[in-house]
Amino acid sequence: MFSRLIENWNRKHLKDERFSFLFDLSESDEIVVFDCETTGLNPKKDEIISIGAVKVKGNKVLTNEALHLFVEQKKQINPESIMIHQIRHCDLENAIPVEEAIETFLHYIGNRTLVGYYLEFDVAMINKYIKPMLGITLPNKKEEVSAIYYDKKIARIPQGNIDLRFDTILEDLALPKLQAHDALNDAVMTAMMYLKLKGKPIINKID
Amino acid sequence: MIALLDNLKTHLPFSLLDDATFKTIEASSQIAYYPQDTVLIEEKTVPENVYVVIKGIVKAKEGEDLTDVYQNYDVFAAIELIRNKGSKDRYVVTQELICYEIPAEVFLDISKKNKEFKTYFLSTIMERMAFMKEKKNNMKSAEMMVARVDENILHSVCIVDADMPILDALKKLENSRAAAIIVENEFGYGIVTDADLRYYILHKEEDALVTISQIQSYPLISTEEDELLFNVLLLMTEHNIKHLPVVNENEKVIGILELSDLLSSLSHQSHLISVQMERAENIEEVIEAAKRVDVMVTLLHSRGVKSRYIAKMVSEIHKKMYAKLFTFVFPKSWHDHCTLVLLGSEGRGEQILRTDQDNALIFEDGFEPEEKEEMTLKFIEVLDAIGYPRCKGNVMVINPQWSKQVTAYKKDIASWVTAPDYKGLMNMAILFDTYAVAGNIDLFKTLRTYLMSKVKEHKEFLPYFARSIESFESPLGLFSRFIAADKAHKDEIDIKKGALFAIVHGVRALALEHGITKTNTTERIKALNDVGYMNKEDAHDLLETLEVLNSLRLHAQLEKLEAKKELDNYICLRTLGKLERDTLKEALKTVENFKKVVSYHFHLSMVS
Repeated sequence: MFSRLIENWNRKHLKDERFSFLFDLSESDEIVVFDCETTGLNPKKDEIISIGAVKVKGNKVLTNEALHLFVEQKKQINPESIMIHQIRHCDLENAIPVEEAIETFLHYIGNRTLVGYYLEFDVAMINKYIKPMLGITLPNKKEEVSAIYYDKKIARIPQGNIDLRFDTILEDLALPKLQAHDALNDAVMTAMMYLKLKGKPIINKID
Repeated sequence: MIALLDNLKTHLPFSLLDDATFKTIEASSQIAYYPQDTVLIEEKTVPENVYVVIKGIVKAKEGEDLTDVYQNYDVFAAIELIRNKGSKDRYVVTQELICYEIPAEVFLDISKKNKEFKTYFLSTIMERMAFMKEKKNNMKSAEMMVARVDENILHSVCIVDADMPILDALKKLENSRAAAIIVENEFGYGIVTDADLRYYILHKEEDALVTISQIQSYPLISTEEDELLFNVLLLMTEHNIKHLPVVNENEKVIGILELSDLLSSLSHQSHLISVQMERAENIEEVIEAAKRVDVMVTLLHSRGVKSRYIAKMVSEIHKKMYAKLFTFVFPKSWHDHCTLVLLGSEGRGEQILRTDQDNALIFEDGFEPEEKEEMTLKFIEVLDAIGYPRCKGNVMVINPQWSKQVTAYKKDIASWVTAPDYKGLMNMAILFDTYAVAGNIDLFKTLRTYLMSKVKEHKEFLPYFARSIESFESPLGLFSRFIAADKAHKDEIDIKKGALFAIVHGVRALALEHGITKTNTTERIKALNDVGYMNKEDAHDLLETLEVLNSLRLHAQLEKLEAKKELDNYICLRTLGKLERDTLKEALKTVENFKKVVSYHFHLSMVS
């Protein structure tokens, strides 16, 4: 009930009617898995460097329609974060202004449900930009893969201490680990987790 | 690019494609997930995609018969699409599958444009194996021996005009980082090297030396591009020069060859090790040369040289090594009264990497030197120093059992043949693979003649001898599935027990029956073909199988050598590609057939 109320309130604040499709009520048979690489872990201070997103439809990851955006940086990227995401300044040659990236991203996701690993953070990063731009926060439905994983696991081992690290889940689901640590590949791996969690009710391995 | 797709680039046949083609694939393919028991392609339907397995297992079945299994990076449905025919098989997911799906029209378009890519799918396993080797490197063993001057080992040149002042020329030399100055005269080149500069420093005033042409060595001794490195080496040693300019067909200098580079590029080659071995004048030099063999093996294998040729080269070097050690270690008084023989894999000339030492001494009757114990120990210690692990079965000259007089060996043979027991049969097998490397070879020949005649007298011995080919089960189980060796070796098979032993021993038994004196398995197979026991096709199949098995084993052993692990005969199934797995399966099937043939031939079901 409240969620409906909040959504309406959110809708009222939309400044730019071009983006009203985000509030479209029609059901889509696709979801979007996305991931952001950022300059740090604080949504208030840090900036988006790149966004990777991929649609999932039925049992397929639509890698042929994948989205991989690089964002122009105003400040120098902090060397420590370069170590993590391995995006150097020279990799940002095809980078676009952040507003353009956000708009492209919004058109890509439409009203589809958003899926991610530690999605809260990625959503907060996007909201940071669309709040001043459009007056709203992302209205889409959200699904957290680590939560789906947790629910499946806890059903098997009720008192268990469940390790929710990305690599652990990947390994437990017997998924291939990709060396490349960029937004798109993380999104693809998360999409495979999602497919596998949705596709099979029981997780075989208990550790 | 999506990393999963990136990984494909290193796998045949995708390694044949260029980046633009990969972009096309990326822009059209999807990753799909299928739970267990999904039927991906029904019989008699044409598939809509080509599938590349990322994780999981898919089985192809014709009716209830399993025809193929696909796993990591294997591709399926390609042949059906190329032929545009309904699938003969049903493709079923037997372990949850994540795969890439490349749409049919995209795949067909690529295979239309890229002939090599298309041919790959239509080729037979043997052709693919050849393809793989060819891709590794086009070099053949023969070409190794006749390596030619090639631009890669040349240093850059510094060319100056004849009238340039000497100091200016030196500055130019320093900036260009070349090794010597080439002087361009009206008629041909000259060269200025360190020796000429020394002359300049000492004599510049008295000779009034100003321009570079005054101190040049002229005319220039040079060689042409594509000249044999061998000839170049001769030229350089003949004229005692360290820098040799290389000219192209238009007589233009393209670079300078330095003696040190030439030597190091030659140093990994077998004939040099062989020459080094021949020239060795003491034990230390023998050890030095012997230690370089492994490097040579690695190089040859990586260039795709067949393992039987590598084995041949290595065994030639080893024979020289043993002959040298025989002369250096054993006293002169011994030389005409005993023979040093190699047994087991060394005797067959099949030991490529040093897995163990198998050797023996045959003494003349009545010759029993006092210092025997001391000398044989010294011999073994030299082999230790080279890096040969000692023989676990103690088949070495320090064991009195393998270091005795001719008559004592004859007695052994007689008892082994007439009353065969396990140990006797094994010793017989070891002794039959004997190769004499040094000393009085006649002693060995006497023994071999005796052995052959004893076996002829006691034909009933042969089935007992052959029987041990049945001692190990095949690692290929029902429906052509691999059976892993044991718990300690998960996903691994022992290729020696599982396959090589059966060929080597089966061939050995047949050779013994036919009185063939060759010890090498390849040569024995050829000899069996010559005497008419085996037809050409069977011999060829067996040789190819032996090659596949040896090559896989060598590959695994080289990896272990590099990781400084103990050498064994296990090969890991997980690291094999589809092609290698299928080839291995074919090879194992041939081994099983051969075992049946041998078993029937010797009526093994009748002996127990």
